[in-house]
Amino acid sequence: MSRRAPASGIRRYLNVVNLGGLAIVVLSTLPLYWMLASSFKGPGEISAAPPTLAPTSPTLGNYAEAFVRNGIGRYLLNSVLVASVSTAVVLGLSFFAGYALARTPLRGRGPLMTVLLMLSVFPPIALVVPLFLLERQVGLLNSYAGLIVPYVALNLPFAIWIMRNYLVGIPHELEEAATVDGAGPLRIVLTVIAPLARPGLFTAGIFTFTATWAEFLLALTFNSEDGHRTVPVGIALFTSQYTVPYGTLFAGAVAATLPIGVLVLIFRRSIVSGMTSGAVKG
Amino acid sequence: MNAVTSSATVSREPAPEPAGPRNEPGPHRGGPARASRRRRARTGWLFASPALLTIGAVTVFPVLFSVLLSFADVRLEYGGFSFRSLTGDHYAAVLSSPEWRQALAFTFGFTVVTVVLELVLGTAAALVLDRLGAARGWVLAVLLLPWALINVVAAQLWGYLFNGTYGGLTWFFEQLLGHQPDILGQPASAMGAMVVVDVWKTTPFVAIVVLAGLMLIPDDVYEAAEIDGAGAWTTFWKVTLPQLRPIMAIAVLFRILQAFGIFDLPFVLTQGGPGTATQSLAILGYKTLFQNLEIGRGAAVATSTAVIVIGCCLLFLRLFKAQADEGGRG
Repeated sequence: MSRRAPASGIRRYLNVVNLGGLAIVVLSTLPLYWMLASSFKGPGEISAAPPTLAPTSPTLGNYAEAFVRNGIGRYLLNSVLVASVSTAVVLGLSFFAGYALARTPLRGRGPLMTVLLMLSVFPPIALVVPLFLLERQVGLLNSYAGLIVPYVALNLPFAIWIMRNYLVGIPHELEEAATVDGAGPLRIVLTVIAPLARPGLFTAGIFTFTATWAEFLLALTFNSEDGHRTVPVGIALFTSQYTVPYGTLFAGAVAATLPIGVLVLIFRRSIVSGMTSGAVKG
Repeated sequence: MNAVTSSATVSREPAPEPAGPRNEPGPHRGGPARASRRRRARTGWLFASPALLTIGAVTVFPVLFSVLLSFADVRLEYGGFSFRSLTGDHYAAVLSSPEWRQALAFTFGFTVVTVVLELVLGTAAALVLDRLGAARGWVLAVLLLPWALINVVAAQLWGYLFNGTYGGLTWFFEQLLGHQPDILGQPASAMGAMVVVDVWKTTPFVAIVVLAGLMLIPDDVYEAAEIDGAGAWTTFWKVTLPQLRPIMAIAVLFRILQAFGIFDLPFVLTQGGPGTATQSLAILGYKTLFQNLEIGRGAAVATSTAVIVIGCCLLFLRLFKAQADEGGRG
């Protein structure tokens, strides 16, 4: 922008950057608003053409329907359980592995990190067949463990990456002081390193939680039974059970999005740092 | 998976370590020190092994097992399965089938189009965010919402907007075109719709990664360009873009891997249709496995998908490195 005399009033804010920012906000939120608004519309209004911008007579009927008749509460419970346990296990395992890769003289750290990185984005369809057969063999299909075990393994590589990149930056003096005091490695890790590693744990945790919360392919193929379905499977199969009840569906979708939306807004700094983990350091 | 990571993938050093001595307490030579080093290495393996064994048992071993399955005559039996002879028939059947070729073409086209669009729009959004000032934090937070939305929810939401009789976007296009378009019912517009949803959901990720790259560019580089009298456009092409290349390469790599494995979106939005117009390789693999129950053949589809995408990524890295070396010399 050239340096002209500051324009008065609204003209001052009319520039490419602000308009771009506005466009980003509108494009990101408009579909989400549409979902929220639709979840309060009655059955007639939801299929009205032209569509209404806001519900004319807001109703909670969709929510009642979703929770009472369609058992979205059960799916939410399953998702919370599977995602929380997976996240807790991933954090425990990745913390120790990240420490080992950041602080101990392991041979082959370099290649190992590259392999982990490649595994973290490996196409999941390649894992579905063998895991399905193995879980079928040992009777893990339609169980919580049947999802938790693969979720832990699939999310570990990236969590280790985050933990390792975070732990590399913690000063060594504290650890050395504890060693001099005669503390063993396990005590050092738990009492000295763990408290300092909290931001790294938050980042790894929020990534694991969002990934497991949204995972669809494995949940669809392994836990197809209604009692063990997670939220994404429940919402995907809504259409085939009934005649596309969009109002109920969006009530369920809003209920599934709220917890993750709140988490994301609270931990937004952790997410941004995770997305750019290493990119900034390297 | 939502992931971007270190430039290590792109640079030659896979895991940069902080310079030597700082890493290890105490002296490095001599008997007691070496013993301590060995002890620390043992601690390291002890700490790392639960995670590494889990990954090995639940991802690496199954992948190898899947390769075996793709060459085997597998039968599902009550509570188990059995193998028969080894055969290359699955690959011969898969690679020669028109279904597979169509799925490959669709997946490839979808990947190229979405990755290019997301890179362009994501970079534009990052440039805007970089200059936003006080509002940046909030706009960033808003950008994270589509990214964090469950794929399946996003697909249902857009499916509603594209609905042939009462969808909001269908109504909008009706006003523009004068007739009601059947967006998800026509191959071309159904593909377009899938691209739109993917771009809406994933551009934020690219924007945030590119923004991190922008913030790393030192100010004096821009000052030098200004002294040379470069305009905004020239500065972008000659200064900003070359500096962003490594970080863009990482973002593109992750996007290629994700886009190539696309499953959730077509499964819910189009079910691969109309016909098989939007059937991705993952959808084809799923149908072969769980609808037709052809285990060996499905494993062949899945394995070939993995091989192709890894090949594409290695090729991309090679091209990127070759070009970077050339640029470095020039």
